[in-house]
Amino acid sequence: MSALGGPKQTGGIQPPTGMGLVLSIVLIIVALALAFLLVQMAGVIALVGIIIGGVLIGFGVHFVPVGGAPAAMGQAPGIATGVAMLAAGAGLAGLFGGAWAAPLGLPLALAGGAVGGGLLMAITCTMVNVIYVFGMGIPAASGKVAKDPITGDTFPEYKSQGTEGHGLPFISWVGGVIGGALGGLGGTLIYLELLDIYQAQLPVLLNATVEQIAPVAVSLAGIFAVGMFLMNAVLAAYNITGTIEGPHDPKFKRFPRAVIAAAAASAVAGIFAIALLELVGVF
Amino acid sequence: MEEIVFGIGITALAGALATVAGAAEDTESDIGSQGDPNSQVQLAPQMGYIHRIFNKAVAGEPPAYGLWVALGAGLAWAFMAMQINPILAIVLGSALAVFVQGVYATTAYLGRTASLAKFGQPVYIDILKSMTTVTMAHAFVAIFTTVAMCHLMISALGHPFPLPLLGLVWGIALGAAGSATGNPFYGKERQYQEQKFGAGVPISASGNIVRYAEAGQRNSLDNGFFSAKLGGPASGICFGLIVFFELWRTVVFEPLAAGWGAVIVGVIVILVFAIIDRYIEVWARKTFGPYTAPEEASS
Repeated sequence: MSALGGPKQTGGIQPPTGMGLVLSIVLIIVALALAFLLVQMAGVIALVGIIIGGVLIGFGVHFVPVGGAPAAMGQAPGIATGVAMLAAGAGLAGLFGGAWAAPLGLPLALAGGAVGGGLLMAITCTMVNVIYVFGMGIPAASGKVAKDPITGDTFPEYKSQGTEGHGLPFISWVGGVIGGALGGLGGTLIYLELLDIYQAQLPVLLNATVEQIAPVAVSLAGIFAVGMFLMNAVLAAYNITGTIEGPHDPKFKRFPRAVIAAAAASAVAGIFAIALLELVGVF
Repeated sequence: MEEIVFGIGITALAGALATVAGAAEDTESDIGSQGDPNSQVQLAPQMGYIHRIFNKAVAGEPPAYGLWVALGAGLAWAFMAMQINPILAIVLGSALAVFVQGVYATTAYLGRTASLAKFGQPVYIDILKSMTTVTMAHAFVAIFTTVAMCHLMISALGHPFPLPLLGLVWGIALGAAGSATGNPFYGKERQYQEQKFGAGVPISASGNIVRYAEAGQRNSLDNGFFSAKLGGPASGICFGLIVFFELWRTVVFEPLAAGWGAVIVGVIVILVFAIIDRYIEVWARKTFGPYTAPEEASS
């Protein structure tokens, strides 16, 4: 992440290896089989939802323009914080909105989660540009492309000498909002799937009504959703290695690898979350 | 109708609390030097620039604030379960969480600075004594306001999450908003104050941070004094707007169109911010113009 060191930042497509692909598919199939054995069809449906949610998070993180430490000195474009950190902030704000709208049904809760995540990124990205322009007098300039794919603005002449660019060009702003929305959507989907499972299992296990177990179910689903969100965001951050400008960055094309890894990781983590109460019941 | 008016009042109060939280969070992280600009504080002694800046970036701001706010919220929740008045419970929970922050700041400063011993960077005990308490005070403001805001969301607006989980969620969001908005101002404008205004810091100048103040050597309290003028308030506005719009769209517009009102208004707010952002971008390009190299080397 340092301006002086760090791994060599190779752009371009880095396809997943055959071994990784096979291993991921095996892990997912084993997790699905376990879900069916432990919780029958409801478990499989929930696990598929969790895997989709994890994939959305892993994919969404690639959209978020993150410049890390160099961005804090105006040496690289993007937001001056860590990839996983910022994506988590946006995704969890989305989860907050999605969980709030959960009683209104799945489509509305998912839309609420997506808009919540997008809103956080929209405001944060705008304030980043406010600081760059009004606090530091620096216009936005991308270091990866010569022209903004949306607005057509040219960048090379605005780039300061000795830097890789600075600020947040409009394409990065749009990428941030899309990334936040996908993160909020994925996090909310994981939460809702787990909530369904726990609301069905807990009353039987604790011999109580759905209303009585609601706080426990919400807490369990919420903390698992936060955990899986961080897991997938960090996986994607490893794939990005350091900084990314958004969907126009050559590194964006690395996303297939992160998507497969997120699917496998979510399947394995998801089976633990789904089977948790079955295991508790056994003991 | 009364319910909506009550909800708007709570929304405004939560937004105000969030604004204070964001401002305190960024100022705290700048005094403690916890954000990404700390890479330069860590780098400087390795380049031969010995300094008296605090150094506690062993974790990013979002996870650190996630921990502290969740801790404050969890303790407050436990105190409330013991039938203690919520305001007192939140104060007690936040105060205890701040002690964890203080321990974190102390060990982080000692550990990170001691690792620079081979480059001749001393551990200044007076820095530790004078600055740790200042970061703790700012952290208390940030934690207390965030926990109070989370408590309002649950008790007045009926969010289903328990207080500790909501503390974790909003603590991470607080750190994300504060570090995103405040870091460039602390990093570029303060640590590299000698560099030309209106341009990024050349990579060749990395590590050459400003180490001298008006009188004597610069320390992190000077940095807090500086960033509290723009970086802190801007972070506060950022986090305040996030919390306000998130609650406002739900409280006021959820009853419309079977709940879709909140989603539609959220999308409209995002589009409004897109227009504001684009306006600022174009304004900057027109007003500042293309980059022109300075006549003499700036580093």
